[in-house]
Amino acid sequence: MRGRFGSLRKAIFGSNASPPLEETVETPLRTILRNFQRNIAAMAGLGIFLLILLSCFILPVFFPLDTSYQDVTQQNVPPGFNMLRLPTEMEKEPVQISAGSVFSVGINGDGKVFIWGQASQKLRQIPGNLRRAVQVSAGLDHVLALDDTGRLFTWGNSRFSLGSIPPELLGAEIRQVLAGNQVSLVLTSDGRLTFWGNENLMTLRLQEVQGRIQKAALSSSACLALLEDGTVASLTTLETPVSAIPESIQGKVADIAVTDKAAAAVTVEGRVVTWGSNVQDVPEALQGKAVSIEAGRSHFTALASDGTVFSWGSNNFGQSDVPSSLEGEKVTAVYAGSYQNYAVTESGKVKTWGLKGYLMGTDGYGRDIFLRLISGGRLTLTIGAIAVIISTFIGILVGGFSGYYGGKVDMVLMRFSEIVGSIPFLPLAMILSAIVGNRVSELGRISMIMVILGVLSWPGLSRLVRAQILAEREKEFVTAARAVGVREQTILFRHIIPNVITVIIVSATLDFAACLLTESSLSFLGFGVVEPSPTWGNMLTGSQSSTVIGTYWWRWVFPALALSLATISINLVGDGLRDAIDPKSSER
Amino acid sequence: MGRYLARRLLYMIFVFFVVSILLFGIYKLVPGDPARLMLDSTLATTDPERYEAMYEAARERLGLNDPIPIQYLKWIGNMLTGNFGYSSVYRMDVIDMVAAPMKNTILLNLAALVLVFCITIPLGIAAAVRKNSLFDHTIQVGTIVGYSLPAFLIALVLIFLLAVKVPAFPISGVTTPGFQGNAFQKALDVLYHMCLPLLVLALSSAGGLTRYVRAAMIDALRMDCIRTARAKGLREKVVIYTHAFRNALIPMVTILTGWFVGVFGGSVVIETIFLWNGIGKVLVDSLRQQDFSVVLAMQMFYVVLTLAGNLLMDLGYCLADPRVKLN
Repeated sequence: MRGRFGSLRKAIFGSNASPPLEETVETPLRTILRNFQRNIAAMAGLGIFLLILLSCFILPVFFPLDTSYQDVTQQNVPPGFNMLRLPTEMEKEPVQISAGSVFSVGINGDGKVFIWGQASQKLRQIPGNLRRAVQVSAGLDHVLALDDTGRLFTWGNSRFSLGSIPPELLGAEIRQVLAGNQVSLVLTSDGRLTFWGNENLMTLRLQEVQGRIQKAALSSSACLALLEDGTVASLTTLETPVSAIPESIQGKVADIAVTDKAAAAVTVEGRVVTWGSNVQDVPEALQGKAVSIEAGRSHFTALASDGTVFSWGSNNFGQSDVPSSLEGEKVTAVYAGSYQNYAVTESGKVKTWGLKGYLMGTDGYGRDIFLRLISGGRLTLTIGAIAVIISTFIGILVGGFSGYYGGKVDMVLMRFSEIVGSIPFLPLAMILSAIVGNRVSELGRISMIMVILGVLSWPGLSRLVRAQILAEREKEFVTAARAVGVREQTILFRHIIPNVITVIIVSATLDFAACLLTESSLSFLGFGVVEPSPTWGNMLTGSQSSTVIGTYWWRWVFPALALSLATISINLVGDGLRDAIDPKSSER
Repeated sequence: MGRYLARRLLYMIFVFFVVSILLFGIYKLVPGDPARLMLDSTLATTDPERYEAMYEAARERLGLNDPIPIQYLKWIGNMLTGNFGYSSVYRMDVIDMVAAPMKNTILLNLAALVLVFCITIPLGIAAAVRKNSLFDHTIQVGTIVGYSLPAFLIALVLIFLLAVKVPAFPISGVTTPGFQGNAFQKALDVLYHMCLPLLVLALSSAGGLTRYVRAAMIDALRMDCIRTARAKGLREKVVIYTHAFRNALIPMVTILTGWFVGVFGGSVVIETIFLWNGIGKVLVDSLRQQDFSVVLAMQMFYVVLTLAGNLLMDLGYCLADPRVKLN
């Protein structure tokens, strides 16, 4: 390395032919800085670490994490942004589009069925004998389709008898197909509904309305029917927030849509009425001219008679942000589902908005790994930093007094540090976290981890500080300070400690990496920070089984990468600093 | 030497007792009543009177009615006489419970010890001899990466590569369940199951150790005796492997003895991941099942291990280099 820099210097400052100049006097700090800057690995480490640090502390401000958020429909979604990317053939005369949980299906002008998004292998196997489809519907992980001869097709998840069409539907004339959260609904043209699938999730009460149903609307927990007389009926046997249908609209309803917790109806006058829990105000501009309405899991999208589109409701994936490119365009049809929206314009173009996908996929609870990674990084780094500050503080104090005063003080303090040092770290931390951890709040638990880490990891540093001070205290400047009558503690903390601070900084840097590792190991074992607060360690907890390691690689690769990059870069910096401060150590 | 040893032992005993008081205090903070845990809780509803009597008897038997200092003295007395307590989950004495895991742990760690030394010594020497070469810099960065990665991360990557992508090794257990065969086949089966944990253990500790060997070797190569040996015209191989290596061994012996003690401790993380029935896994399981008498006994065991390790390290240093004066 020296050779390379020698030649570099030669290139810049000319060859050594000129007589060597007298070495310029530099402050030790500048020497250290210069030595450090020369170390490529250490500089790279510093760069990576700063990048990680900044991302973990700045990005969560823009991408806040809701720790209580979970979504069963978004479980184990691979990384990628293809959920709204339509196949090019689909762009031509789209007949119908239906958005499922993380994929969508559509029919183009030729009656051909396309599937895009994060569709599993099973979902991509569109039945070969499905020639000209006229209606499709995408559910959580299955698809229901109807062809022009009136035949029904279903594929995808086949559990809970979802894979087989009930025999009574053979030969029936079908008006509407609906695939939901592991359930299927088919409405025949004589107004009768057939329901099959996972009855643990939903059961329907159909007797009173059979034969009069005009249209059905389905979400993961609710099912509404629009009857021929313009009234709305809730079909689920369980009471849901949408079961209380406002009396004022009965008999005047033209279209209905239902989200998980709310429902909306378009009346014949073009007004939109919403009910249920967490309902948000309907855009005023829409009132009086609404034509049809669609719903996702937590938002509504409505089409007005003049071809404008309105979306409202929760907006966590941008599903309520109608793109500005739709302004001035006349929309002929809108399709919404899950967190996706599709609008077909008069010119036959398809505009999309909503959830495109996840940068790093989702975990087993449907949570965005990227969000957890940056927030988890912030927590991991904070815990490590505070633990190091605590341990450095105690280490300097104990080592300083011990080394400076010597004698009995030294004896007592060193025995004390020996006691703390002889307590095996991981087991004790686990015991404390098991005993105390269950009785305190989440924040209390996190602070407890910091304190345990800090309070148990100082003995090494205190010995180091003591040794350094033993060497420093006999020097002339200390004698001089003492002769002038400076107070003992001032000599120690204002005169001696600044002389050994570089060693302390190096040690603290390396301890920081060690603390990150220990915290991660603790959290990984389930004795550190626990769910739902993310840290890099506990994000890896769920990834111990070989299925997760093999199939859902994104669940462990990203946290693992972040953690290892952080610790490697910190160690590189610490190592580089040590070499820079003590050139002898780089010789070794 | 003798005086040093005596003083050192005295300190050790002192530290041991202080730590034991601390740990016993923590243990006493544990919510829950071990006497109730020992009894059949259904009895409380069917025959409350008999249950109360049994509960009182259990409390008496466990000595829970005594004041805390007396309880401590009884407990430490039991510990010192080899009575390590009773596991309320497994319903057997702790000493019987940890016998088999201890065997597994020692087996795994001894194998790791051998493997690690086979990797790190040649690597460290080679890096030291070719100091500042590209090879050396690669090793330097590689070892930083090695000791920066936590063991569980290396385990995840190895499971992904060697058990999921290429299903070559089993990822859990010590033996194949229901395995039949002669002693040799059984040994092979254990060895087969040991591959992945062994590799993880070796990789996760090789980084730090290689750096240590390298530093020790560089120091040794700077000695005057090496210059003399070279001046005598000895072959470089002899200089390195006989003269320098012997001097480098001194600090290595210190590490070796420290490690040797670690052989009995086991690794909590690795044993948990690979479901290797060892000491570390016993500790985690006992903690999860709130079997605190086992936890306490294990904790004291670890304290003794650490103290013994420190002493052995000092002694090893002294034995390897007679010039070292202990004080």
